[in-house]
Amino acid sequence: MRQFKQVLEEEILPNVKKPLRYLGNEYNVVKKDWKAVKLRSLFAFPDVYEVGMSHLGLQILYGLVNEETDYLMERVFAPWPDMEKELRTRGLSLYSLESLRPIADFDCIGFTLQYEMSYTNILNMLDLGKIPLRAEERGNEFPLIIAGGPCAYNPEPLADFIDLFVLGEGEEVILEIYAVIAKHRAIRQGKQDKEVLLKELAQIRGVYVPKFYETFYDQQGKFLGVKVKEPGVAPYVVKRVVKDLDQAYFPLRPIVPYLEVVHDRMMLEVLRGCSRGCRFCQAGFLYRPVRERSKELLLQQAERLSENTGHNEISLTSLSTSDYSCVESLLREALNRFQQKKIGVSLPSLRVDSFSVNLAKEVQRVRKTGLTFAPEAGTQRLRDVINKNVTEENLMEVTEAVFREGWTQLKLYFMLGLPTETLADLDGIADLATKVLHRAQEILREIGSKQRPKITVSVSSFVPKPQTPFQWEPQDSLEVLQEKQKYLGNRIKGKRINYNYHESELSFLEAVFAKGDRRLGAVLYEAWHLGCRFDGWSEHFRYDLWREAFERTGVVPEEIANKALTYHDALPWDHLQTGVKKDYLWQEREKAYALATTGDCRFAPCTVCGICQDLDVSMSLKKGE
Amino acid sequence: MLLCLQYSKEEEARFLSHLDLMTAMERAFRRAQLPLAFSEGFNPHPRISYASALAVGVTSEGEYLDLELEEDLAADEVWKRLQNFLPQGLKVLAVVPVTKRKESLMAIINMARYHVENPLLQAIRQQDVEKMINDALSLAEWVVVRQGKKGVREVDIRPGVYRLQGRIEKKLILEMDVQTGSSGNVKPEEVLEILQRVSSFPWGKNIRVHRLGLFIREGDKIWSPLERS
Repeated sequence: MRQFKQVLEEEILPNVKKPLRYLGNEYNVVKKDWKAVKLRSLFAFPDVYEVGMSHLGLQILYGLVNEETDYLMERVFAPWPDMEKELRTRGLSLYSLESLRPIADFDCIGFTLQYEMSYTNILNMLDLGKIPLRAEERGNEFPLIIAGGPCAYNPEPLADFIDLFVLGEGEEVILEIYAVIAKHRAIRQGKQDKEVLLKELAQIRGVYVPKFYETFYDQQGKFLGVKVKEPGVAPYVVKRVVKDLDQAYFPLRPIVPYLEVVHDRMMLEVLRGCSRGCRFCQAGFLYRPVRERSKELLLQQAERLSENTGHNEISLTSLSTSDYSCVESLLREALNRFQQKKIGVSLPSLRVDSFSVNLAKEVQRVRKTGLTFAPEAGTQRLRDVINKNVTEENLMEVTEAVFREGWTQLKLYFMLGLPTETLADLDGIADLATKVLHRAQEILREIGSKQRPKITVSVSSFVPKPQTPFQWEPQDSLEVLQEKQKYLGNRIKGKRINYNYHESELSFLEAVFAKGDRRLGAVLYEAWHLGCRFDGWSEHFRYDLWREAFERTGVVPEEIANKALTYHDALPWDHLQTGVKKDYLWQEREKAYALATTGDCRFAPCTVCGICQDLDVSMSLKKGE
Repeated sequence: MLLCLQYSKEEEARFLSHLDLMTAMERAFRRAQLPLAFSEGFNPHPRISYASALAVGVTSEGEYLDLELEEDLAADEVWKRLQNFLPQGLKVLAVVPVTKRKESLMAIINMARYHVENPLLQAIRQQDVEKMINDALSLAEWVVVRQGKKGVREVDIRPGVYRLQGRIEKKLILEMDVQTGSSGNVKPEEVLEILQRVSSFPWGKNIRVHRLGLFIREGDKIWSPLERS
């Protein structure tokens, strides 16, 4: 141990970029005695430290587990390629930041699945930890490999590699899982009998053990479904959900990184879930129902967080913070309370309306930040299709308010390749951007500003996601996506509008892994073997290697990403349930084609999506309580 | 009120860059609930000024910063409050009020003292070390190549090396006083480069640099920044 630490600090870290990624001495880090606990777990984030440490879920689970006397949780992140090389040339194992132990020493390792394009990093981390990649190759001496997070709602591409998936909100279920593992090991003097343990774990609600299920295909290779094969295991797995956000655990002593991370601030989680019902948005369907945290509790948490972290900014995080029913008073009180300490408050997500601009204006009392709005589509017709209830009028109001208040830049997010999209919709994006620019110029002239406005149009490609009304939709082919990107580029004129778009090959692979079944396991293995890592980072993304991997394994990715599915087609995630009914999703899809919008159940009647009917939960708004 | 703090950057914190260190210090001061004074403007920053940046990987027991507070607090009260709020590897060793000094720390500090440990690849004797140092000191110029913004240039560092001693304690230990601050900076690695040119033995790669302190040098007199605050 001492020897490894010495090699690490004397020989390895001086050679790598950002050595602090690989040391766990941050403020509020928890280092527990391994002999004093019954279970040693490792939180594994399959991306670089700065990304992983910005993830609130990590801080929640880390705090929750480490507050338990019997368990400990440490951390590991994907090593950047320079560090990977250092470890491999010395034959050293990937290690945990807290105790610098090889990751294979832990009882269980939990990966978070935030993004499909981090999957090769999972394989690479296991390999660097000298742990066999495939679940069936791992005997009783190896840690149990767990995964959770949004991509676990279709985890089939990872089914070969992961022992068990957790569906839903981790803080609700993790201690139940740990209790079973700890008890199992206690009975067996610290050893595990993986077969027996997995069967025990499969009894916990929200736990999906893929080896207990099998997939069926017809002779042409068409996917026919997933069925349970193990007696005593449930045919369907339903997500776990926190009922009351005020009662849920929240970490008041989060780790404060030394290194500048992506979100370098205190995070207050004001609400969970979103019922706006945008039909492309997976988060909107995964995290229902909307549950708010009370303002008083949030302010108390903010006080504790500022005492315990020393951060100079508080972020009010959620899927849509301007929808928080007490947002105005929370913001005002937080600003008043923290202004003297020069602690700013920020809102990461804003709705396209003047109410949100007023909030943004309040926020500027301490620090000035950029503003981003997401109309998502260029015409009212297409916005109705996707149920993004934003009008051109809303956007013009926002533009007026923003530039009148002194901002000179505005960023607009759009999506390209949405179902039913035509060239007219792309023209709409260009027209909208031009109108926004002209309006901005008018306002700046009117208020006598000498500055010139800058509009950024940022365009991503539509990726059909499981558990959404668009799960049956095909993605545009790569060629079409690229043509559309080019077309739009030609339509956007003038140097005051900055146009950028996401790499279409990446969106294509995202669609493949979002919708694929277990046959993708072989592709993933092959891609990793060929050297794919950090696919979400354009400097490391190797589309040529991915093509090679598909060819070698005989999987045709276009048949997954670009194929329209019907209501009767089996889906690889049919056995995994969010609580929103499949029939409801289909009905929403039908409404999309009929240009019919659906209201938000916070302000309009219940849409009977199934969540409050089938799960023992309900929407919780704090206003007026 | 203005306070001068002496702090150390130890093993656990040695890979912090100067920017990381500044952030860590600000957070520690905030956690300790010190009444920080801030700059004006849209992006208010606490008024903290550092004597000198320490390179990544280098430890030190003699770093200094000036901290401005909005209210008067006793220096030992500040010291006491900070003890519980610093991250691993950073320690505040002393706090004194700034009364005499008009200039910033950065403007008055002109010397740094280093302790450098070099692993040995073969056994050498004290006299080999003495000879190496004497050979080096007898050279008229110590020319090293520096990468500047406008390209590479050659610099004679000899006038910026005030003291150099060596001894053997399993490793080759070198101690040196060199110029630092606004008038010029000599890096310990540059001194090693000169020594390696005249030495008769091979050198190991993984050197450790530790700064013993920053000083104000006036003629033959050497003062600590705390004495001049």
